[in-house]
Amino acid sequence: MDELDGDLRTAKAVRDMQLHMKEKRNIKKNASDIRRQKTLKRQTKQLGWFKRTKYSIGMSWMHLKQKMAEFAYSLELWKSHLKKIEGHFGTGVTSYFLFLKWIFLLNIPVCILTLGFVVIPQVLYRYYMKVPSGYAMPANSSVSFTGEELLTGGNWFEETEMYYGFYTNQTIQINNLGEYDMKFAYLFTCGGYYILTLIILALSISRSYKMNYIEGSGTQTFYMVSRVFCGWDYNITDTAAASLRHKSFFNEMKEFLSGKKKPEDDVKKLEEKCKWFFIRLLTNLLILGTIGGLAYMIYAVSGRIETNTRILADLALPLLVSAVILIVPPIFSLIARIESYEQPKNELYMNMLRTMLLKASILGILVYFWFTQTAKRENECWETLVGQEIYKLVIVDFIFTLGATFCLEFLRRIFATHCCKLKNPSPEFDIGRNTLDLIYSQALCWLGTYYSPLLSVIMILKLFIIFYVKRISVLQNCRPSLRPWRAARTHTIFMGFLFFFFLMATVAVAVGIIIIDSSHSCGPYRHDSLGDDQHYYAYRVVLDLIDSWRGEVVYEIISVITSPGSIALVLVALCVGTYYMRIVMIGHKEMVTLLRQQLAMEGRDKAYLLRMLQEASKKRKVKPSNINRTLAPQTSSLLNPGERSPGMHQ
Amino acid sequence: MFFVYSVYKRFRQLNEDKVQRDKNVKLSREEILKLPELQVNPFNDRITTVFSSSGDGGMTFEDFLDMMSVFSDNAPKNVKVEYAFRIYDFDEDDVISSDDLKQVVNRLTGEQQLNEEEMQQLIDNILEEADLDDDDSLSFAEFEHVISKAPDFIK
Repeated sequence: MDELDGDLRTAKAVRDMQLHMKEKRNIKKNASDIRRQKTLKRQTKQLGWFKRTKYSIGMSWMHLKQKMAEFAYSLELWKSHLKKIEGHFGTGVTSYFLFLKWIFLLNIPVCILTLGFVVIPQVLYRYYMKVPSGYAMPANSSVSFTGEELLTGGNWFEETEMYYGFYTNQTIQINNLGEYDMKFAYLFTCGGYYILTLIILALSISRSYKMNYIEGSGTQTFYMVSRVFCGWDYNITDTAAASLRHKSFFNEMKEFLSGKKKPEDDVKKLEEKCKWFFIRLLTNLLILGTIGGLAYMIYAVSGRIETNTRILADLALPLLVSAVILIVPPIFSLIARIESYEQPKNELYMNMLRTMLLKASILGILVYFWFTQTAKRENECWETLVGQEIYKLVIVDFIFTLGATFCLEFLRRIFATHCCKLKNPSPEFDIGRNTLDLIYSQALCWLGTYYSPLLSVIMILKLFIIFYVKRISVLQNCRPSLRPWRAARTHTIFMGFLFFFFLMATVAVAVGIIIIDSSHSCGPYRHDSLGDDQHYYAYRVVLDLIDSWRGEVVYEIISVITSPGSIALVLVALCVGTYYMRIVMIGHKEMVTLLRQQLAMEGRDKAYLLRMLQEASKKRKVKPSNINRTLAPQTSSLLNPGERSPGMHQ
Repeated sequence: MFFVYSVYKRFRQLNEDKVQRDKNVKLSREEILKLPELQVNPFNDRITTVFSSSGDGGMTFEDFLDMMSVFSDNAPKNVKVEYAFRIYDFDEDDVISSDDLKQVVNRLTGEQQLNEEEMQQLIDNILEEADLDDDDSLSFAEFEHVISKAPDFIK
């Protein structure tokens, strides 16, 4: 086995070397030959059967692992599509598709979790117990599937595992295989997937933040360097895209250089400053007012359309919400143009922030409505109603996404190329808007998974279809953007938005579980009427469970953990930890500036010494190259020991 | 193995006859440049020179494989940085001098060119950011230091 490990180590070391393939192969061969001879020398007697088998198994295991890795690489989801898009549009547009893929993959574990622990047990329960439904009231068995349910999510769907109300509160027992308490399963699965998503999100957001902000900034940003040396998108294969890239680089450099010059005559008049301040104040107030007004409108409307039962009335609210989300953001970006920010970057961020605020407040007001109005209804299953509303929002959002793609991208191209000659026949692919749409639809999914466990399945289907639609639309209809898109940095911002929405959804669901009473007559947490002053909410199940442990050790442990004292202790510990980290960070920063100064000093020393030596060598006629060689390693060893130095190869 | 095979297929596409006849044939720079990624790349002559083992821009399959593996997503970052440094080092004196920088910028801007003053300002800016020891050129260590911190560095 030693030989095997050694081979693996060599392979890894060789991979990191900057040599040609032939030399790498030679090194590998030599190393493994030497190792083999050593092994043979050491073991004079014949290898035992056991050793031989072990070795060959190890060998084949290694090969199998390599094969699997290659196989997995070739299987990777949507790889060829992504490469193709990258070739035509560069990394900016690809970042949208990567984000879509990431969300798609994020939904899969959630989906498996809910299917495995909630949906499948309920299906088995239904199958074995022959109980038609989870509702306490007699099921309306005459309802059949007509097709319009796909849009409204009502009627027939109410009698399926789609919604909260259908799930039983019984303990499932199948052929004495064990008990399965649906109450706990439902609540703990819900908690489980929120925690799982939280962990995944937090990990990737911290990785992205670390990569783009902490390591990227330091004491000084390397803006210019990264623009110039990373200026070319090496994945571009399209000639048109390439010439566009040249232009965009040129424009960016021009823009930057003109921006650099400004500070010299930057002494703006106070008057001017005041003017801009007031204009921006005004626009911000206007936008906040618009958002507030729209939110109120949705709140007012959502109470109205309850009485009607026709399809259009059912869909009026989701249609309104989606329309607002489609129409208002472009108006915001028009307003932002009036504000005339110095940097296009700031304008973009401002737009994204406002759009997110709009979406967040709409969702917030809807949740508020559901918890204050819908949850008060006595004889209906309000959780199912909420689930239905969210289902409708998801579906209508999906239709709007498809419609917007069709109208704004496909029809516009057809119209522009055939009817009137516009200057730019095909539209640009708006990465920001599209990504924000994705984040919104994911937020809906998080909000609704508790009330409608199968929503994550719908979400997966939705994302899958959107990927293909967008892919075709991008390649057919769009042209690459002239404005450079800094994919790595905006990714962190998108992740931040996603995280914010996740927190919002989690808080909303937690409030729904802990504070709002669950329905009397349906779902896993049905209960008899307890009277006016008593509340029965879903979280009560856990409290009851803990209460039932009274007198045991577990109960004591839980009560100690949840006592105010220990929580305060944890908070204090966290604060101390944060403070310590901050101190360390400041220390590191000081160290970096010190080292930088030292480096500059060394450089000056080097230049000075070289000059001295050259003068000396002129007198003594010694070749300067020798001196270079002896001097250089000292200076560069400070930068990175072992790296090659500039003077070495002269 | 899968990767090597797909690279081989692409290599064969560049010149079916020659490769069919002799697997170890050396294709000329013009033939290598038929690769769509390289065709539009402003640094294509540098790339072919750096990866060519004979140094004249021609490539055998092994050289070609070298190039593809460095450009693949899975290549280690330090290898990528090393090759990027060699590509940008036009006069091959193991430092990126201001002349090299000028070439890089000119190739990136394409047909439109920055004027003399702007170019000088740009180069001053770059050196100010990256040149740690004030010798008016970027050594490999300096290059690696800044480039590994740039989040957009994906070749």
